Amino acid sequence: MSTGRPPPRPDERSAPYWAAAARHELTVARCSRCGATTLPPDLTCPHCGSTDPAFTFVATTGQGTVRSWTVVRTSFLPGFDDDLPFVLVDVELDEHPHIRLIGRLLDGVDAPLRAGAGVEVAFEDLEPDVSVPAFRLVP
Amino acid sequence: MSGRFAASGRVAIAGYAQTPIERHAGQTLGALAVDTARRAIADAGLEVADVDGFVGSSLLPTAGGHAAEDGVSIVSPNWLAQHLGANPRYAVGFTGIGQLPGSVALAVNAVASGAAEVVLVHRALHNPPSRYHGNPMTAAAGQQQWTAPQGYFSPLAMIALPYNEYLQRYGARRDDMAAVVVEARKNGARIPWSYWHDQPLTTEDYLAAPTLFDPVCRYDCDIPVDGVATFVFTTAERARHLPHRPVHVAGYAMSALSRHRLPLHWPLDDIVDGGAELARRLWSHAGIGPADVDLPQVYDGFSPFVWLWLEVLGFCPPGEAHRFVADGGIDSDRPGALPALSGGGALGNGRMHGVPQMLECYLQLSGRAGERQRDAHVGVACHSSPHHGGAVVYTRDPA
Repeated sequence: MSTGRPPPRPDERSAPYWAAAARHELTVARCSRCGATTLPPDLTCPHCGSTDPAFTFVATTGQGTVRSWTVVRTSFLPGFDDDLPFVLVDVELDEHPHIRLIGRLLDGVDAPLRAGAGVEVAFEDLEPDVSVPAFRLVP
Repeated sequence: MSGRFAASGRVAIAGYAQTPIERHAGQTLGALAVDTARRAIADAGLEVADVDGFVGSSLLPTAGGHAAEDGVSIVSPNWLAQHLGANPRYAVGFTGIGQLPGSVALAVNAVASGAAEVVLVHRALHNPPSRYHGNPMTAAAGQQQWTAPQGYFSPLAMIALPYNEYLQRYGARRDDMAAVVVEARKNGARIPWSYWHDQPLTTEDYLAAPTLFDPVCRYDCDIPVDGVATFVFTTAERARHLPHRPVHVAGYAMSALSRHRLPLHWPLDDIVDGGAELARRLWSHAGIGPADVDLPQVYDGFSPFVWLWLEVLGFCPPGEAHRFVADGGIDSDRPGALPALSGGGALGNGRMHGVPQMLECYLQLSGRAGERQRDAHVGVACHSSPHHGGAVVYTRDPA
């Protein structure tokens, strides 16, 4: 199984996030010093400034709110041509409103979409043990 | 850390030169840059030996896998100084975003402090021969792991999200953007060096263009080009004795640091909040306000920036720019309107990264705009996004 799309290459900071995604769990990074959450995990904590944030990755409900979207009709990356057109949604996480994620909306381009729509996380399996967060509209 | 710029009005532009803006120039970028620098120095009534400072930005603004090779696809200040045969005591590159305002700020600071007396600011833009943003990556590493695997990639996607967020929030429509692009192309069509010279765009053509990343269509994006622009900065005192009427720098501002986000993710509130802070700093630095400006030149590398800059700089209320522009608010031919794209901008010239805005300020305020000459006293040249860029206030009179 391979889509030809560029899979994420986990690094030391992001490995737990992608390991959780492979289990179809959406996590966010939590600073061990101040407890604030963030994505992506930066070299320092964007909230308290710690240079040793020792991020842990905590589960989320995967519930969010659509703040914007775009319909992608051309791709500059390999592996997406067969999927065109597709929708990308800009999602504010309900439990972590300072964190916004961008993912494919798996409901298709004709799905009724509006700012403020509720979504929940879903996952696209790119390769064995490689899954990428996406979203579905909540009915 | 705010207040009026201590060197406000003390540094001036004394001359300039620019190449024609072409899809692919007949010379290498470095050769173009050397020729253009020589012409600018002569235009200012000076010689290469008089230039003791070089400032520029070398960013190659593509998402594609194109190599940045000095003299070929980029031109650094050091490369230019060396190939001109100059011996500067000050040669620095600006590495942030808002490349042209950032470079101008470095040049002005150098002249004001005496680190250099004559500084050449240049910007050289290159259009690589293969697909501009095409990227053959087989895995998404580093920052791109957070966005590329789901297909969020390129500046078109980057601007599409806040643009649509604006449309949804304020009830604006994609059709309203036609007035922005048609205005830019109208003005660009009147400019002999523009890639779009004699090629205005009709509203019908704009509306008929297919979208690429909804609501963005090709005409919302400036076209990649080869081109070089150079400006000569020196003290206002010295500039007074040179051939052309000097244009003074009243102040400048670079954007505030923005919120931690995914790469290339620019939520509308980040742009608006960061822009508000930039505007506050800019007016404070220059010692003027928006009511004093008769030549705002807003950045338009992507058309939605026009609405956003007009709003954050206070030329129209938040959420109103789409109506303001559609109602003729920036029509360069309408008496009493704000000619915010009179220089054609990026949409009307090509991807010159802030040069058309700066050049229009220079030409109009120095009285060198020829048939397009307007009666203008205070210009603002913007570049990039309000939350991730910069702006410079230029004045005809010293202070």
